[in-house]
Amino acid sequence: MITIRTNRFSLSEISVLLRGESQAIAEWSARWDARRFALHIGVIILGAGLYGAAMGWWRAPQQGLYVAIKFPLIILLTTFGNALINGMLAPLLGLNIPFRQSFFVIVMSHAITAAIFGAFSPLIMFMTWNAPPMTASGSDAAYNLIKLSHVAVIIFAGTVGNLRLRQLLEHLGGNRAVARRVMFAWLAGNLFLGSQLSWDLRPFIGAPELPVQFIRDGAMHGNFYENVFGAFMHFFLTK
Amino acid sequence: MNENNPVPPMIPPADRTPPPPLPPSATPPFPGSRPLGEDPAEQVPIPHAFAAIEALLRHPRRLMFQLRQPGGGKLIGGMLFVALVCAAVYGVVAGTFSGGTQLWAAPAKIAAGLFISAAICLPSLYIFTCLSGSQARLAEVCGLLAGLLMLMTILLVGFAPVAWIFSQSTSSIGWMGFLHLMFWFVATLFGVRFMKNGFAHTNAKSQAGLNVWIIIFLLVALQMTTALRPIIGQADTFFPGEKKFFVGHWIDCLKLQDSDIGISRSRS
Repeated sequence: MITIRTNRFSLSEISVLLRGESQAIAEWSARWDARRFALHIGVIILGAGLYGAAMGWWRAPQQGLYVAIKFPLIILLTTFGNALINGMLAPLLGLNIPFRQSFFVIVMSHAITAAIFGAFSPLIMFMTWNAPPMTASGSDAAYNLIKLSHVAVIIFAGTVGNLRLRQLLEHLGGNRAVARRVMFAWLAGNLFLGSQLSWDLRPFIGAPELPVQFIRDGAMHGNFYENVFGAFMHFFLTK
Repeated sequence: MNENNPVPPMIPPADRTPPPPLPPSATPPFPGSRPLGEDPAEQVPIPHAFAAIEALLRHPRRLMFQLRQPGGGKLIGGMLFVALVCAAVYGVVAGTFSGGTQLWAAPAKIAAGLFISAAICLPSLYIFTCLSGSQARLAEVCGLLAGLLMLMTILLVGFAPVAWIFSQSTSSIGWMGFLHLMFWFVATLFGVRFMKNGFAHTNAKSQAGLNVWIIIFLLVALQMTTALRPIIGQADTFFPGEKKFFVGHWIDCLKLQDSDIGISRSRS
């Protein structure tokens, strides 16, 4: 295994991230390097942006542009929104790393996830290119297929990102139980906020009967969890 | 080995005398807890409030040790000041849900409620501490309580960005109340953990008394949210006109919420 441990910044660091070379990544996370940080943010913007473009393209090119902006925005807003509480939870749960390092570690795990998104974006683009046009009638099968494909890619990218995060936390904390605790605490917070931000910034795939919009009218009215609760109640009360 | 002496003696006859009494031990009563100050890093004084925050999050034993030293009162004062500021900051975020007068009323009520709850519960905490056989002085008990408040409130500030995003996304008071209670509960869990760790170093025989006190503190704090309502929503008066217990208040809120719930479904 080739490990890059030099202080010099290199684009090949992305492959080190993807391989999850904990020793090298731990060294990077321990010190501030503006260019490295910019690279990871750039990977998030580019990777998630490309995937977002592929996601929205089926509805309309303009929708693709909007989702290319929104998709990385969700990841970045979640990272920054939870930075404070994640930095506090790490030492409280037994991982005594500085606030800045915990922030870097999370940014790196999101960069891994975004790189995977970016890698899958041509495949998704190809799929949407081959799909029948999105119309109010007749595209249900394609809609379901595309939706399920997105779910599969998101699950895969998220799982790999978190797996790498866990390996890194184990390396930093030297303890599997601590790494597990911290990772689940961070994951819970990020899922909680990320779900709401996704709800606020909808639509992503879009719907043929609705106009192309950056965010829906009244997007900030109601929240994700209220809607899920409402749907749950509706399902069981109408049974 | 024969029938008269089937088992050889495990202890030589000379050692069968009763063991001498053990000297008074400095070992703490709870397993795994080393005496405070054993690590030289714990003996480094905490010069200011920011250092106290750092110590509370990363080196709580250092804070526990320093609370026992001369000058601990100043440290407690600093910790309470941090708790006051953090409670006010979180209060402003909670107040953004309704805006208007709630922008100053919510921080005032949250900070006051927290400190009044602590003041009400302090005497019972000291009593339970003594009943548990603890050697802690009142100042040390105050320090642990200040640590609980400080940790709770700095964690609440950590949750503040999330709370703000939700407060801008929903008009449901019930939901926001639930969210704030959830954040408060998580913050309190960590605060209570700090307190229990500190209590373990006071030579207490058991933690049963402290566990009872924790339940009392939770109940008082929850009731305080009802006594000082509204904290999230709006009202014509600063204090409520009607007295209620918090469970009754929650049930009333849920009934009100049920009538407002609209089931909305949307695609994408």
